[in-house]
Amino acid sequence: MPLSFDTNMRFKFPIVAICLQLSMIILFGFFVGYENKWQYVQKNNSSRQPDGFLELYALFQDIHVMIFTGFGFLMTFLKKYGFSSVGINMLIAALGLQWGTLMQGILHHHKKFYIGIKSMINADFSTATVLISFGAVLGKTSPVQMLIMVILEIAVFAANEHLVGKILKATDIGASMIIHAFGAYFGLAVAGVLYRPGLRRRRHDNEESAYHSDLFAMIGTLFLWMFWPSFNSAIADAGDHQHTAIVNTYFSLAACVLTAFAFSSLVEHRGKLDMVHIQNATLAGGVAVGTCADMAIQPYGAMLIGSIAGVVSVLGFKFLTPIFATKLRIHDTCGVHNLHGLPGVIGGIASIVAVALGATDKTTMAMQAAALGTSLGTAIVGGLLTGLILKIPIWGEPPDQNCYDDSVYWEVPEVEGPNYYFHENGDHSQLQPEA
Amino acid sequence: MGSKYPKSLRISLPFWVLMLEIAFILVFFFFTSYETPSKKLELLKPYPAFQDINVMAVLGLGFLKASLRRYTWSSVAFNLFTLALGVQWAIILDGFLFSSSRKIPINIQRIILGTMSAMSALISSGATLGKVNLVQLIVMTLLEVTAFLGTKKLTLTFLDGNEHQSMMQIHVFGAYFGVAATWCLSGPGLSAAKEKEQRATASSLFTTLGTLFLWIFWPTFNSALLEYPSEKETAIYNTYYALAVSAVVAMSFSAAAHPHGKISMIHVHRATLAGGVAVGVATNLIHSPWIAMVLGLLAGMISIVGAKCLPVMVQQGCFNRIIGLHDTCEVHSTFGLPGLLGGLAYILLMIEQASWTKLSTVGFQILYSAGSLSLSVAMGLAGGILTGLILSLNLWKAPPEAKYFDDQAFWEFPHLAVGF
Repeated sequence: MPLSFDTNMRFKFPIVAICLQLSMIILFGFFVGYENKWQYVQKNNSSRQPDGFLELYALFQDIHVMIFTGFGFLMTFLKKYGFSSVGINMLIAALGLQWGTLMQGILHHHKKFYIGIKSMINADFSTATVLISFGAVLGKTSPVQMLIMVILEIAVFAANEHLVGKILKATDIGASMIIHAFGAYFGLAVAGVLYRPGLRRRRHDNEESAYHSDLFAMIGTLFLWMFWPSFNSAIADAGDHQHTAIVNTYFSLAACVLTAFAFSSLVEHRGKLDMVHIQNATLAGGVAVGTCADMAIQPYGAMLIGSIAGVVSVLGFKFLTPIFATKLRIHDTCGVHNLHGLPGVIGGIASIVAVALGATDKTTMAMQAAALGTSLGTAIVGGLLTGLILKIPIWGEPPDQNCYDDSVYWEVPEVEGPNYYFHENGDHSQLQPEA
Repeated sequence: MGSKYPKSLRISLPFWVLMLEIAFILVFFFFTSYETPSKKLELLKPYPAFQDINVMAVLGLGFLKASLRRYTWSSVAFNLFTLALGVQWAIILDGFLFSSSRKIPINIQRIILGTMSAMSALISSGATLGKVNLVQLIVMTLLEVTAFLGTKKLTLTFLDGNEHQSMMQIHVFGAYFGVAATWCLSGPGLSAAKEKEQRATASSLFTTLGTLFLWIFWPTFNSALLEYPSEKETAIYNTYYALAVSAVVAMSFSAAAHPHGKISMIHVHRATLAGGVAVGVATNLIHSPWIAMVLGLLAGMISIVGAKCLPVMVQQGCFNRIIGLHDTCEVHSTFGLPGLLGGLAYILLMIEQASWTKLSTVGFQILYSAGSLSLSVAMGLAGGILTGLILSLNLWKAPPEAKYFDDQAFWEFPHLAVGF
């Protein structure tokens, strides 16, 4: 067995993870503190409510649900890959939020800094990029590779975010460009470098969904859908802007669901709905409206953006993904390009149009265009470099025939349990007599 | 050993439940009133925290216990039942024990307290999961909530504790109560029950859903009872980072513990939450994030070691035969061990932070906090054994061992439950 396919993680993974974790703790010890010195907290600050902390905390909780439950369960659609989708998702996010706190704090403050509720929100945001990229390479990588990707991608993300927000002074309130488009193209670039010709010849046996796994994925979709308004409004200025962001996202999502259902029925055989479209394309509206969420685009503008995003996303799943896999040699497992990539770009373009129509005076068309360009550029360059590092055959990636299979890295229950109750046994003769 | 079939609860369950509910309604009628309306706006402030804690109790703890492949319905539904019962009883008891006025004023804060107290019963029912019927659960809930509030009253009166600190002992209390109660019940000796106790992929994913909900909302749980806003804030940050660390540690140690380096989902369910448990009591004493992170690291390790070593001993028979313990959801390693660690950390932090003030008061404080930790453990164990003995009476029509971990004993099954 070649070295690259040595999937025994007994020492590799724990050592890498614990080393990373210990260095996080040490770095936190040096660089991170709390704003309030506790002794005087108890005496003097009793009545002070720190700048709307509790309101923001509620939004933060929503985002937390989206990151862990939403993204985690959205990826459980593969029939044998549920554990990895949810579990590795949690691992990535747990490590990523620590590293994200550090990177963003150090970039913005250059010295010891204090944690606030905004840094927690931003830390959760930064993990979203890695989770999106994880979707593109889902099933073809090892946990160690994911840990490395967390470290590299969040570093690049924080740099790009700093560039867009502080130097270009563009606005990207719901992070269509700097998170969604960035994460998607980063993931596509990594997936392109890690492309496996062996998986191309025929569709992999495990790369399909089962009835119950599609339902699990739907849990993720619903949580993402419900809480998306919080995601797009969390870092907006409190008051009117935040309110606008919530309303715009709400209507955009609603419009997107309708067009996604309509086009799914249109492009599928005999007008049937495709669960993949429903799980993913219904969320495209939230992604696309992100950048201009807090601008005065009016509800109809948001609905227009949402509708377009839904259509583009479904068409992307139907026509673009196969082309990517065959012609461009990029295999995108979850279709993140259609859920995050294309709608993210639409969001960037929509913001340029909105600025041209005078929906905001905080930014200019050129800056928005530059922000879109740098996000895509850094994502692709960063993704290619990361992909090259992940291609070094020492990280224990699974061999072709074991892709999309939990049992490589997880202890999987031997009994299938009620799974086959849904889809295998057509005959009812096995019904146990009631005791 | 009596009949192979579970006895019907047709008479006893409705009887007990209706009697209890009528009693509750009467007590509520005579002894409670709503808070005066002038303060309403201020009272709505804790409402988001209440929502989060409710999600933890209903979805989180409910699905956390849904790991047995033939017992998912009962896990989730009985959890809801226990909670609904426990909250009412806890509000009544809490009002009588801690309220000075004749009528108990009902407000959100009181409901939060009631929900959190009822969670002690939800934690313990993880240990007895699958081995008791609903009537036994009712008895257990009533006794446990009483014991927990009694412990809290003792801590507040004699040991100089505060609301937050005494509530955070709930993990230790609930875990040891459950372990002690399950010790008195007979374990699943038969192979039929063993086979039903296995996990399946789908039910493991449901458990993950529960774990995630607990994990996500834990910062609210640890901060809800703190008084000052800035204290709350610190508590939230501490819990957030401690949980993140224990999630990473849980997966790495789980992989390291397996001969082929495979991660076990059961370990992930247990140990990712350990950080939140451990940081609970001490959370307002921790004033830089790295301390919370170290606590999370230790808690994750302890939980994995506890989950790894104890069941092995059970399988080899020695542990099982000597102690006869069968802890279905391993609440001991999820809540018990990290809770003990948290108690120790609290004492250490107290020593570290108070060393420059008057020595005599420091000594007292340390004694007090050590006392409240051991009081929780002792009350948990004693109450648990007592409850276990009561539960093992024949009076309750307990399910036979062959019908442990089986939804069919309690539920009407859909016609097409193939393969079940």
